[in-house]
Parts: sequence; structure tokens; C-alpha cells
Amino acid sequence: MKKYIYILFVITCFFACKANDPDIDDLVITSEKQIAKIIEADKGRLYTLNEFQDQFMTEEGNWLSDEHQYRTRAKYTKNGRTYYLFSIDTLPTAGKGIYIRGRVTTDDYGGNFYKSLCIQQIVNGQQQSLRISVDAGSISGMYPLGQEILIRCNGLAIGRYANQPQLCVPSYNNNQLATNATQKVGWAPGRISLPAFKRAVTYIGTPDKSKLQYDEMNITEYTNLLTVGGEERKLDGNLVRIKNVHYTGQYSNNGSPANCSTGDPETDVNSNVFAPTTTNIGYPQGRIVVDANGNKTIVSNSEYAKFARFYLPPSNYTGDIEGILGFYVDNGTSAAKYGLAWDDWSITIRNLDDLHLTDTQGNPWPRIEYSNK
Amino acid sequence: MGVYSATTVQGVVLDQETKTPIAKGTVTLGNAGISVRTNARGEYTFPSVEVGEEELIIEADGYVSDIEVVNIDAEPITLNVVLRPDVSYQAKEELLVNLSEVDLNDDEGKTQSQSSNMSASQDVFNSISSFAWSTVRYRARGYEQTYEQNYIGGLSFNAMERGTFNFSAMGGLNDASRYKEIVNSMESNNFTFGGIGASTNYLMNAQRYAKGWKVNLGGTNRNYKIKASATYATGPLKNGWAFAAQVGWRFSPYIDNKGIIGEGIAYNSIGAFFTAEKNWGSDKRLTLIALASSANRGQSAAVTQEVYDLVGSINYNPYWGYQDGKVRNSRVVKSIDPTVIGTFEWKVNDQHALRFGLGIHYNFYSNSALTFYNAPDPRPDYYRNLPSALWDGQINSDGKFIKTDMNGKNLGKPFVGWDGQKVGPSIDEKKYNELVQLWKDRDDQTTQIDWDALYGANYMGNKLNPEGSAKYILERRHNDIGEVALNVFYTYDSKKHLKVTVGLDGKYGIGVHYKTVDDLLGGKQWIDVDAFSERDIKELATNIGLTQDDVKKVKQNNIFNPNQKVGEDDKFGYRYNIDMAKVTLWAQNDWSYNFLDFYYALGITYSEMTRSTSMINGRAWYLAQLNPKRADIYLGPDYKSILNAAKNGSGSPKTWFKGYDYNFVDPAFKLGLTYKINGRNRIKVNALAATQAPLARDAYIAPRVHDRVIAGMYKHNNANSLKDYYAADQKIVSADLTYEFNFPIVRGRITGFYTQFWNGTELNGYYDDEARTYVNQSITGIDRRHFGGEVALSVKCGTYITITGATSVGDYRYISNADAITSAENGMALATNSLTGKPIFELKDKVLMNGLHVSTGPQVNASIKVSFFHPKMWFADVTLSYFDWNYLDFAPSRRMQGLYTDIRSDKSNVNGSYEDIGAVLKDDKTGEPICDKYGTPKLKHPYNKLSDQESLVADRVWDRFVIDASVGKLIYFKNGQSLSVNLNLSNLSNNTHLKTGGYQQARLPRQTKQGVSEKDGNSVISPNVWKFPSKYYYAWGTNFYLSLTYKF
Repeated sequence: MKKYIYILFVITCFFACKANDPDIDDLVITSEKQIAKIIEADKGRLYTLNEFQDQFMTEEGNWLSDEHQYRTRAKYTKNGRTYYLFSIDTLPTAGKGIYIRGRVTTDDYGGNFYKSLCIQQIVNGQQQSLRISVDAGSISGMYPLGQEILIRCNGLAIGRYANQPQLCVPSYNNNQLATNATQKVGWAPGRISLPAFKRAVTYIGTPDKSKLQYDEMNITEYTNLLTVGGEERKLDGNLVRIKNVHYTGQYSNNGSPANCSTGDPETDVNSNVFAPTTTNIGYPQGRIVVDANGNKTIVSNSEYAKFARFYLPPSNYTGDIEGILGFYVDNGTSAAKYGLAWDDWSITIRNLDDLHLTDTQGNPWPRIEYSNK
Repeated sequence: MGVYSATTVQGVVLDQETKTPIAKGTVTLGNAGISVRTNARGEYTFPSVEVGEEELIIEADGYVSDIEVVNIDAEPITLNVVLRPDVSYQAKEELLVNLSEVDLNDDEGKTQSQSSNMSASQDVFNSISSFAWSTVRYRARGYEQTYEQNYIGGLSFNAMERGTFNFSAMGGLNDASRYKEIVNSMESNNFTFGGIGASTNYLMNAQRYAKGWKVNLGGTNRNYKIKASATYATGPLKNGWAFAAQVGWRFSPYIDNKGIIGEGIAYNSIGAFFTAEKNWGSDKRLTLIALASSANRGQSAAVTQEVYDLVGSINYNPYWGYQDGKVRNSRVVKSIDPTVIGTFEWKVNDQHALRFGLGIHYNFYSNSALTFYNAPDPRPDYYRNLPSALWDGQINSDGKFIKTDMNGKNLGKPFVGWDGQKVGPSIDEKKYNELVQLWKDRDDQTTQIDWDALYGANYMGNKLNPEGSAKYILERRHNDIGEVALNVFYTYDSKKHLKVTVGLDGKYGIGVHYKTVDDLLGGKQWIDVDAFSERDIKELATNIGLTQDDVKKVKQNNIFNPNQKVGEDDKFGYRYNIDMAKVTLWAQNDWSYNFLDFYYALGITYSEMTRSTSMINGRAWYLAQLNPKRADIYLGPDYKSILNAAKNGSGSPKTWFKGYDYNFVDPAFKLGLTYKINGRNRIKVNALAATQAPLARDAYIAPRVHDRVIAGMYKHNNANSLKDYYAADQKIVSADLTYEFNFPIVRGRITGFYTQFWNGTELNGYYDDEARTYVNQSITGIDRRHFGGEVALSVKCGTYITITGATSVGDYRYISNADAITSAENGMALATNSLTGKPIFELKDKVLMNGLHVSTGPQVNASIKVSFFHPKMWFADVTLSYFDWNYLDFAPSRRMQGLYTDIRSDKSNVNGSYEDIGAVLKDDKTGEPICDKYGTPKLKHPYNKLSDQESLVADRVWDRFVIDASVGKLIYFKNGQSLSVNLNLSNLSNNTHLKTGGYQQARLPRQTKQGVSEKDGNSVISPNVWKFPSKYYYAWGTNFYLSLTYKF
């Protein structure tokens, strides 16, 4: 009998090797206490997103050490002060933990965001935000819309790419064929590798879209802020809702609105769809929306977006547009020469559900795709 | 002297333990130079032997050879001989089964190297090549496993779809599979027509097994750790019956982790075997065999050298990770494999005999793998997660890191990387070192599958959208094989010179393919759509001038069950069967004379195959829209009803649609001759010519998606000429010449062989970075030739010691360029016609493979073995082996003619070729490309790294040597019981530089030229040729197998 019990024991042990599904509570932290505990154990400090940028992001960047200062970078001078459009400040690896937290406001399923996330944090009812560059496609699959995350930033960097602040790592941009390459080639904010990012991040709870806060704005509230190095760096990356606008069927031709064509979006870069081809240069395509007072702003779309070949909504469809607010200036020379313009601002929608447009009867905008048949 | 006199010598050769007859043994008269083979009853006869002293040499596979010196006078002599089973040989066989089984998992085409040679036999050459060379996956004469035929009880058991034998069907049943007859290459064969490779027939009739119990216990540090088996046989009973049975269990009680052989591999395999035999007198025999095995075992993957070096172990396996503190492998093979065989043999009279056989076999085989949808790639060794991913964009066209910026200013100093190589200066040292450290420390989240993160992503997805698809699941890819084999076999023995053998082999087989959800990993459901097509849908729509809405079916895996939600164990993805049938009729005449034996044989094979599916894939539907006139090639003959049903939404998700039938008639002819110069020396010649229909595995370009077959099969089905009829078939011609010698001290052989193959087929699938989509590629018209020599020598040094040596030197290479057709699996256009501006969906091009080596293991193998045998039943041996000329499987996608010349063979232009970037070496004066002797243009450094075939041979000469040893003792007890102990040590010097295989990645590194339109060629080949480096398998370091066998 003993023998059989023993055999049974061996067999049981063998099959007992099957691992149990992890409990969600083991994968996420759920209470403020737990967050405090983690930070305390690390002798760290939790910064708000604005504190974090104020504390660690300098104008020139600490990467501008002797060995890196050869680089020619896009910069912009105003009132005798130089503003750098590209910068990197590395954060110490050792020492006290540098923590930030925020809720993911982006979703890359629509194809309008690629290898990047935006997070927001509500501090005293006000939104603060930060962009994050991660070297992994479909990153929203792991960090979805509405997910709050805690990030230990040690060893990473905070920098600006085309004046847009982001959590990043230093990376040498060697794209010599890019537009304005002479100003861009050099050290710039680059993408954090997925292994490094996963190690830095802890989930706080589970995703909750309802907790996302939109800054309800009129266009002029941000297009009037045409400075570099000021408030626009804080607003960049915010989740916004622009009230009461409609598409005009136009794009910005170096600051002047121009009508889109009816051409084939496969060949015509100005076709009246969200994002016709850029012949693979890959720059985002801007389309103009205006409010009731005629104030213009750009809605920015990638030609790789799933909705890129949909026709622009006709101008009789009006309503709110949601998305990420951006202030993108990658060319210091032209900024200095021509001055900053309203079309340096843009809204990046996550997908077509971000367009809440209806006609006067309240009918939603019908989504129609381009077809050459 | 002077008086000529002759007499008869006859007898029976018996197994020492079982006292059962040994069939197919060879008995040779050393002086007269005559040999005969023993029949099924172990009998041999020399009708006319000269009087005088003779040396009788008795040999049989699996037995220690014996030499008897006899004085022959005028009286007929009856000399019965008992042969002792070769115990060390038996212990080693167990190791071979293990090796062969591990490698059978190649359900993804090129993911695994081929198995080792299983045709071990007593032939000096084969006994060394099978064991000592198995470490490096030696393949006899460089032939793939499909050329090795395996039979059980005379019935063919090579699976029809893949052409290979599933050794795990006999997993752990080493006793059951002990007795076999092996015919090397094309030699005269009396159980099948045979082929260019070895044919093995496992003889499993119950009388062969020794009466009594046999209990075996083994321990090893390989993929499994413990083996236990028990065999019982009744021996022949008075009523004419005999029974034998074995059960075997191989398992790992624990799973090894980091750095140990078998890393991350769970193993549990049980085998059972039963055989019954009934004899009615000596002329009728019924044999029933039942075999079953069940296996559950983890797998390992080939990885790049960077990964091996970073983790510092050749045993690294990226397939596993920790979950709940336990090792969990993402790739687990599950197999249940029952077989039933019945044969009836009827010896009509002394001259005529008949045999009937029927076998049924069903293999429930599946393998798991991670799949993901709109989430980051979960593979730890995904190239973006490695330090070398930072190289991207930082390498100049000379293969070196950039040193200056655009203005010519110096970027600073490079730093020394973890491997001693200079890195940078445009790489951030800190970022680089952090990543390196994660790998060096073997951080669980970085270097293994992060199961928690996968569950986490699914939990988050559930919360966000409870109706949405899981981000990650573990899928199970099923490939069941069902086969029924039947044969009728007739022999006529004239008892003088002629023996006639006629066989009729019939076989029906079905390959059943589908996927199920193995584990939702915490997700709520999986939605059955194709992520690739979903991503590309915009272009797919544009290509045919339609909207995304119009073509949204393209992402469906079953257009008649769109967006199907599946849960655990539900079928999804694809579902198709391949039905196959085959009938071979063959006849052989063997003529035997004192100084000459010869044979000739003719075979004719009829075969057919049909694919049918119950899931009409959206990509097949889409391709039919693209080519409305040839919709049938994707959807089969029912295309009209399918398209109509798709249009009006009336299709049923359960209807099976049958594709076209493809049938083939293939003749084969062979002949051979043995000239016996004298008793000590003989010369053998064999030759074979045959055509071979493509295996179903190689016939369908993307069987999971559609019905499309390789080009030759259309020609074949619409043939007006013999040439067209054989357009899809491979043609083989082979010959060998052997000189054999057999002296009392020295014996051996020298063989030369030459084989040529024409019109072979190979299928590939890979992610194409230019088209940015997954493509399928069929390569046909592959011609190659294998020639070489084999030498074996055995020298007896006194009573105790024998020294044997064997070497095989070959040159196996492709002798022409082949034709490739490349198409996107989701129907994307791959290029644009520069004249018409129209999209091109199928690219036709040449693969410049003339002169490249066939990668089927080392082409130079050599061993010397010293064996010690003491009559008190001690035995030991040490083998020193050397391997060379071993080549990595090359990626045809990197050898396309268009890449070298800018223009494909279909006259379309290539965007981003070697030519475009000036990588083709050119003569300064003429401007013409400099070509190698096979006509392939040569490339400049570093681009030659992309195109050249790599050697797998270690740089240092001493890293090409392997030492194996074994020691054993057989103890006989007085009560007739015995205990044998055997220890095998492989790779004693722990050589960790032996690459056994791998593959060059098909993915060609590219970068995009910004500001240049796609039509103008914005995709250029990246100077970072290290981006998708080759992946390798290594031979295990030192490993052992200890075996204890007790018989009672």
C-alpha cells in the first residue's frame, strides 16, 4: 500500500507543477499607502509632472557636456534669450528614487500614435502632462488608455524633441535625410527600451477612462501663447477638448490656409482626407478646424493612421474635438525668421471617435472613405 | 592436395539470451569469400564449401560479431551459433531516440535542425556515424530525414505529409524497437523498394523478445532526467502463441532553469507496447502489434550569438519564464500516438511466401505558442530588446560606427562594449550598459517570458473593454496525422539463383490542421481576426480601388463567422485537412552466384493530395477579388459558390470546401551488383533513378490561408507533355561504389557516392521589411548534387582491444539558381510596375544559390574509437571525433537576383537593392560586377555579411573535436538473471563551440530614406547588417546517460 501512496505522491508532485494564474492584486498597487510605501522604501520622492519638469529639465540640457556640445541644434532666440528646441537632461541612476505618476491619455490602436504615450496628472484640479517615448509598437496593449502608472525615472532622461517635453533616453539621431536635418541630427530624446520601461513602471489600479480629465479650451487660449520656453511646454501633451469647431477642408500652407484638393490621396499630398500620402516622409498631416469666431487650429494626423484615407468631415458638421495638444517646433531658423505661428499648435486625435461632430439636425458626421471606384 | 571436394555447411544463428533465431544476419566464409544471409528462422546454408580450414564470420545488427574457425571435411556440417547482444550498443540506442525526438518539432519550417541518423547498425561505418556523429546531427550523405524510410512490421510509417518518421511514436520503448533490419542506401532490399537513404524495418513480433522480465532504469542530465521501463515476454508458448509487452516512462521531476541543459523544459512521456504472435506450424504466422505513446514536453529555440554570449550559456532558452514562482514554457508539445498493426505471413511452400499487413496510426500532435494582438511582442529575445538594437542608424556604409556629425565634427571617443568591441561614439554608454546588465544578470523580466506582464495586459484590457480581444494568448497549433497502411508482399525463392520479391504498398493519410486556444492568460476571449491584415487594410483597400469597409473581410480568419469570439479549447485561426493517398507496386529480382550477386528492381508510385477547409480565410477571399479570373487557385473549384455566399452573407461556417486533386505517377528503377573477388574482398555497385511527387508539406504555399500550390503543380494538372507532367516532381539519380574487405585482423570498406537532385522545392515565410508585411515564398527548381566518400576500418589489437575509424567526406551543394515566387500573405502589393504603374502582387525572381552548400550537417566527419572488451563482460570505449565543413542554412530572400542587379527576373524594379547602395563589387575598368565562380556578384564589406553563406565550424581547430566515452559491465547471476550497467559520457571535454544548425534570418535589414517617395526607392538596405543576425543551435556540453538493466 505504502508503495502505491508513494507512486501517487510522485505523480501528484509532477502535475502540481502547473502554475496558477497571477492574481491581479499582485500585479497592481491599489492604495495611496502602497505607493507611499514603495517610494519610502526607496528614500524617494514623488514629483508632480510639472515639478518633475521644472526640477530636472533645463534649457540647455545637462547632456550638453564637453563631449556632446559639438552638436548643432535647433534653437530660437527671442529678447536676447536662447531657447533650445532639443534638449536632454539625464537623471541619476543611483541615489534617491525619482517618481512620477500619471494616467495614460493616448491609445495607439488607431495608428495616430506610434511608440509613444502621454500621461496626465490632476493636481489641485488642474491637468499636468508628459509625453513618454518607448521603443515598442502597440505599447497601448500594455499601458492602455485610462491606466494610471507610477514611474521610477532614475536612469532615464527628460528632454525636449521639437520643443515637446518627454521622458526619454539620450539617442543620437542620425537621420541625415530628414527635413531640416542640419538642425536635427545629433543627440536628441530617444525611445526607452521596453525592458527598461517595464522595470520602471508599476500599475496603479486598473484602467479607468472616466477619470481622464479634459481641458476644455477655446482655440485662442493656447494659440495666443506663441512663445517658446513658456507656458506652451506645460500645455504640450495635455488632453484637451476644443469646443464647437468644424473642419474647413483646408490645410496650412506655411501658415496660410489652402484648400485641399480632390486628388487621389495615394499620390496627392493635399487631398481632402485626414492624411494622404507624404510619399513616406512620414510627417503628420495637418487639417484646419475653426471655431465660431473663425479662429484656426490644426488637427494632426499620421498617414499610417487607420482613418488616414477617410474624407474630412464637411464644414456643416460642428462640435467638439478631443485629443492631445501639441506645440511642435523643430526649426529654430525659420521660427526666428518668420516668427512662431498659430499652426505650430495641433491637436492629435486618437481615433475618429474623438470627433463629436453633428449637423444642425443633430445627425452625426457620416464617415466616408476615399475610393477611386 | 589436388582432390577437389566440397560439402554443405549449414546451421542456425540464435540470440544468446532469448534463443530465438536472428534473421538478416550475415554469415561469411572468410577464405572462400561467400556470404549468405540468415532467413527469418535464423537459418543459413552454404551448399558447396571446399574442404579445408575455414573461418566463419557471423554478424548481425545489435550483436557482437563472432568468428568460428572450422575444419571442413567431406561430411556436411551443421554449425549453430549464438550471438551475444551488444549491450553497449543497446544503451546508446536509447540516446539516439532521445535526440531524434527532440528535433521533430519543426512545425514552423526552419526552426529546428534535422534529427540525427537513426540507422545504427553493426556495419563499422554506421555504428560510428550513428552514435559519435549524432552530436552534430550528421546526416548520411547529406540527405534530409525524408529520404530515410522507416517501417514497422513491413508497413511504411513515414508520415505522408512531411515525409518523416515520428520517433516519439516509440518514445521510451527501446526494447520494442530493438529488433530491426536496416538496408543502407540503395542496396537490395527485401521489405520495400527503398530509396537513396537507409530503410529500417522494425521487427516487433513477440517471439523475438527474451522470456521473462527486464527492468531498466536510466538517469541523464538531458531534456528528461529519469527513464524507467519494464518489459515482459512469454517467449514461445506451447500453443504457438507468444506475447511481449513494455511500458516506459521518461520524465523530468523538476525543470532546470538558467544555464543548464534542458533549461525551461518540462518532460513527461509514457510509452506502452504490446505484441502477440501466433504460429501455426512453421508456415503461418500472425503478428499483432499495438504501440502507444503520450508525450508532453517543452521546447527550446535557436537564438542569436549576441544572446548566447550575453547570458553566457549555450543552454539559454527564450521560451520560458516564471509564473507563480514556477518555470512555465510557452512551447509545449503534446502528443498522443497510438498505432495498431497486424501482419499475416504464409509460407505457401519452400519457394513461395506471402505476407499481408495492415496498420492504423493516429497521432494527436499539437504545440503551443504565444500570440498577441495590438500589444508589444512578448518574446524576450525580440531584436528591439537587445543592446544591438541601439546600432540602428549608427553604422556607416563601411560597417563602422559613425564618428563625425553632419558638419564633420568629431563625435568623441567610442567606448569598449561588454564583448570587448568598440562601440559608439554615437551610442549612449549608460543606456547601453544598463541593457547589457539586464541580460548579463539574466533579469527575469528581460531575458525570459514575463508571464505576469502578459496577464497584466489582459487584465487591463478586460477592464477597459470586456468584449474586446485578449492582448496575449497561448495558442495550440494542432497537426494530427491519421494513416492507414496496407501491404501485400510476395516472395519466390528458386532455391538456386533467383529470388523474386513483389510488393504492393497502399496508404491513405490525412493531416488535420487547426488551432485552439490553450490559455487565455486571464483574457476574457480572443477575437479571431488577423492583426497583420487589419493593420494593412488601408493599403489592401487602395490596391483594388475599394474602401476599407469593402474589404474588411480580409482580416477574418473565417469569412462565414466574422469576428468570432473564442474561448479556451475553441478552434480558431485556420482549419484545413490534407488528404493523401499513395500506392506503390514494386518488384525486385535478386540473382545470386558464387562470385556475383546482382539485383534490379522497378517501382511505380501513384499518389494524390487534396486540401479541404471549413474556414474560408479573408485573405483567400481578398486574393480572389484581386484575381477574379483565377479565383479558383485560392478558393478551389467551389470558388463561385464561396464568392456568392460571401456576397449575400449566406455562407455557413461549418461547410467543408474541397480543393483541387493533384495526382502523380512516379517511376523508380534501381539495380546493383556485388562482385566477390574472393572471400576477403568484394566490390559493390548500386544505382537508382526516380521521380518524386512533392510532399504535401512543400506543395501548398500558404495552406493555412488558401489553396494555392507551387507553380509546377498547375503545369502538371494541365500537362500536354511529359515535361509538364513532371514539372512539380523532383528527379533523383544516385550511384555508389564500395570496396569491402574482411581479414581476421582488419576489416572495413571504402565507398564513393554521387547523387543528383533536380527540381526540388522549398517554402519560406518571413516578415519583409520593404513591403512591411508577412510574405510567403516558394522556391522551385532547386538542383543539387551530393558526392563524397566513406571509409571505415576496424583493427583488432589482441584479444581485448579493437580500434575502429570512420570518416565521411562529402561535398553537398546546389548546382543551379532556383526560381522564387514571393507574395504577401494578406495580398498586399509588393512592388509597382515601373511602366504601367500597376501594383505587382507576385514577385518572380531567381535565387542565386548556385554553388552554395546544402546545410544538412557537417560534410567532414571523422572518428577514431578504441573499444575494450574483457571476456568477464567489461566493456569500455573512447571515441575522438572531428567535424568540419558545416554550413548554415542560408536565407534565399537575401540572395535574390534582383537585389544584385536592381531588376528581378520578371523585369520588375527592386527598390532598395545591393546595387542601389553601391554594395556590389565592380571591376574598376569595365564597371561590370565581379562574380564568384558560380556567377553570383560579390558584395563589399559589410554587405557580404547579408549575402554570404556562413560556416558553422568553430574558428579554433581544437573546438571542432568531441570526445565521447562509455563503460559498462554485464553481470550474469547463477540463476540465469543478469544485470547490466552502462555509463555513456558525451562531449567529455565540454566543447561548447559546436554549432549544430540554425538559420540565417530571412528578414533583410532596411532603413527608410526620408523625403524620398516609395516609388523612387525610399527603402534602402541598412548598413547595420547586424540587425537580423543568424540564429544557432549548439550541441549540448558534457552530458551523461547511466543505464541499469536487470533481467529476471
